Amino acid sequence: MMKRYKNLLLFSGILSPLIVGSSLLCRVDLMALVRGIPRATELIIRMFPPAWGTFPDLVRPALETVQIAFVGTAIGAFVSFLIGLMAAHNIHSRRLLRQTTRTLLSAERALPDLIVVLFFVAIVGLGPFPGVMALALGSIGMLGKLFADSIEEVDPKPLESMAAIGATKVQMIRYALLPQVIPALIAHTLYRFEVNIRMSVFLGVVGAGGIGYNLVTALRLLKYQEAMAVIITILILVTLCEKLSEISRKAIIGNELLK
Amino acid sequence: MAMNHPIETKIYKRWFESYLFPSSLFMLALIGSMIQLNMSPKLFWEGIPHFFSLVSEMIPPNWEVFSKGKILWSILETLAMAFLGTLIGCTGALLCGLLGANNLTPSKLIGETVKRALAAERSVPPLIYVLLLIVVIGLGPFAGMIVIALGTTGMLGKLFAEAIENVDPKPLESLESTGATKLQIIRYALLPQVIPSFIANTLYRFDINLRFALFLGVVGGGGIGVDLQMAMSLFRYADALAITMVTLAVIWSAERISDYFRKRVIGQEVLQ
Amino acid sequence: MGLKGGSQAMLAIRNISKKLPDGRLLFKDISFEVKKGEFIGVLGESGVGKTVLLRCINGLTKPDVGEVVLNGDGEPQRINGKKGKELRAIRRKIGMIFQGSILVKRLSVLENVLLGKLGWISTARSVFYGFTDEEVSEALQSLNRVGIQSLAHRRAETLSGGEMQRVAIARTIFQKPHLLLADEPVSNLDPKNTEIVLDFLKPLTQDMAIIGVFHSPNLVAQYCTRAIGMKNGAIVYDGSPHLSEEDLRAIYGGGNFYSS
Repeated sequence: MMKRYKNLLLFSGILSPLIVGSSLLCRVDLMALVRGIPRATELIIRMFPPAWGTFPDLVRPALETVQIAFVGTAIGAFVSFLIGLMAAHNIHSRRLLRQTTRTLLSAERALPDLIVVLFFVAIVGLGPFPGVMALALGSIGMLGKLFADSIEEVDPKPLESMAAIGATKVQMIRYALLPQVIPALIAHTLYRFEVNIRMSVFLGVVGAGGIGYNLVTALRLLKYQEAMAVIITILILVTLCEKLSEISRKAIIGNELLK
Repeated sequence: MAMNHPIETKIYKRWFESYLFPSSLFMLALIGSMIQLNMSPKLFWEGIPHFFSLVSEMIPPNWEVFSKGKILWSILETLAMAFLGTLIGCTGALLCGLLGANNLTPSKLIGETVKRALAAERSVPPLIYVLLLIVVIGLGPFAGMIVIALGTTGMLGKLFAEAIENVDPKPLESLESTGATKLQIIRYALLPQVIPSFIANTLYRFDINLRFALFLGVVGGGGIGVDLQMAMSLFRYADALAITMVTLAVIWSAERISDYFRKRVIGQEVLQ
Repeated sequence: MGLKGGSQAMLAIRNISKKLPDGRLLFKDISFEVKKGEFIGVLGESGVGKTVLLRCINGLTKPDVGEVVLNGDGEPQRINGKKGKELRAIRRKIGMIFQGSILVKRLSVLENVLLGKLGWISTARSVFYGFTDEEVSEALQSLNRVGIQSLAHRRAETLSGGEMQRVAIARTIFQKPHLLLADEPVSNLDPKNTEIVLDFLKPLTQDMAIIGVFHSPNLVAQYCTRAIGMKNGAIVYDGSPHLSEEDLRAIYGGGNFYSS
């Protein structure tokens, strides 16, 4: 019977010091939590009513946030398609290229987005451009792999039969591959768009454009009601985009199942 | 051979005729957005030489930056935030999952409420949580850790509840027929089915949380993110490169370890 | 080294051999010729290499040794060893049908037929422009020849197996090759559809030669003009499509054959 619990004991034995250590590192201060409760209540009271008057000023940054995510995702998707073609083993037979591409994709996925953003901000300065580039690059890592996998999963017979009767690779891709794989590609892209919208909100904080910046500023200036207005705007934005993406995805999949 | 109906060639003949409308709409939105965002090719051209000067300033990385120990401390802080946040989060998720699954919950009302609460948590961008939390309990990794825990509970709670709902009912029924109590059924028939995927998801979430912790630093939530941003904005690029490289190494190792455990867990499941 | 003079030998296969990936020999020194208008049925046990042989003809698989020469329009052209543009130029003169569907499921029947001519259309035109009105009407006529013109605008995946093979035949008609390779075209169809499809396949011999791989000697006897039997890596029979029990034993080994 001890044997069954041996693993558990071992586990707890390793875990406990880790927990204690992490708590210290994180400066876990339960008293701060307790003290925070009245502060939180005070904060909430001070945030209402939200500064309705600022809403018109928030439209532009909100739009910018969406546009950054939109353009970033679009660029990411286009490039990922080309990369997916390079990495899929049913498109071409150059093994070296395929493996290199896949490895590069893994490496790219391992790059945290923050580093990419900071890097681009250092190169082109503040503003939405580095934000777009960061989102595009970040998307390529994930979409590149997803696209490559989807491309490899298509029915190989139409592709082969077209090669057999003399079609070029491009024709094969256009007429046999694309019709099969486009719904999956669009679904992946829409999913990534949702992720990127959230990222885009965050990017504002680093100065890469968008509504995140408004929120940070409002809080720093202690203008809580304006901050509340920004929060509401962000919530509306994110919810809208996610709903849109969800509807689009259902429409595409529904389309598939219907026909 | 006479055709007795007109040839419907439009749909098949020229691809752009069928896709013309949606694609031009799309391109319009795309280019319009790019213009509005001031994404001109000029910026790009100017960026290229800037890129090279940046790279030359970055190399060689300045390892001196670690001498004072503060940077290392920040990295450990980041790890700790992710670790503790994931741990607390997954405990919360366990609870929420058990309460939220409709085949396990004591009352339908509780189940629904828990699920709605989780969904609501997920729909709020974490930026909002962290900024508000900082106002309430101050800057530092504590706030960051709580935000990570919150997000983890939201995601894992949902996954866990779904996993419980999708469990194979046969082992449960067969145990029930031998007279086992509800708790026993959970322990011996339900949990073994869902625990492996739960652990795998937790480990996956840990990876996400680690990267997320970087971001939180920038907003004031502690960790190495803020050091990195400061280094970059102060043009201390060699410092930044050193920090980046070590951070990447740490993240990469943490992911390898979590991958290893995930494979062990999934492997066990496959064997079962 | 010209082809046999006199009657047109459309395809000449000379001494091709192929090894399996693990080193074992699949077939060795296979040679035969095909004339226009012939409908050859290839018979043999599973795994003997019938499909590989077919694929060696249009280069989907490369033979280790030997030559494959196509001579549809008076100019003999070697197939093996060619690459890229030259290979495509020859391949567009050879049609191919597989077992199971070669169609692109999400495209319409008409679009699938149109794909037959891609070997003749430049990449740029096919990608950016599509197909001309003349090509479309010709494709519809091809569909008519197999009796399914009414299905032209249906999505390919909504068709039955037999209908899909007829679309594949229509695509071949549209392509106008000199030679058609049919790899088990009816193996997964029920008897009625098998008959329908082969009834449409046979008339194609007016314009081209057909080499088909079959599992059933009955079908070969019914539709083909010539039979080739493979066993143990060689051709053991080459002649009339009506095979005797003795011939069949040579191809398959013991057992009763005419029951299928």
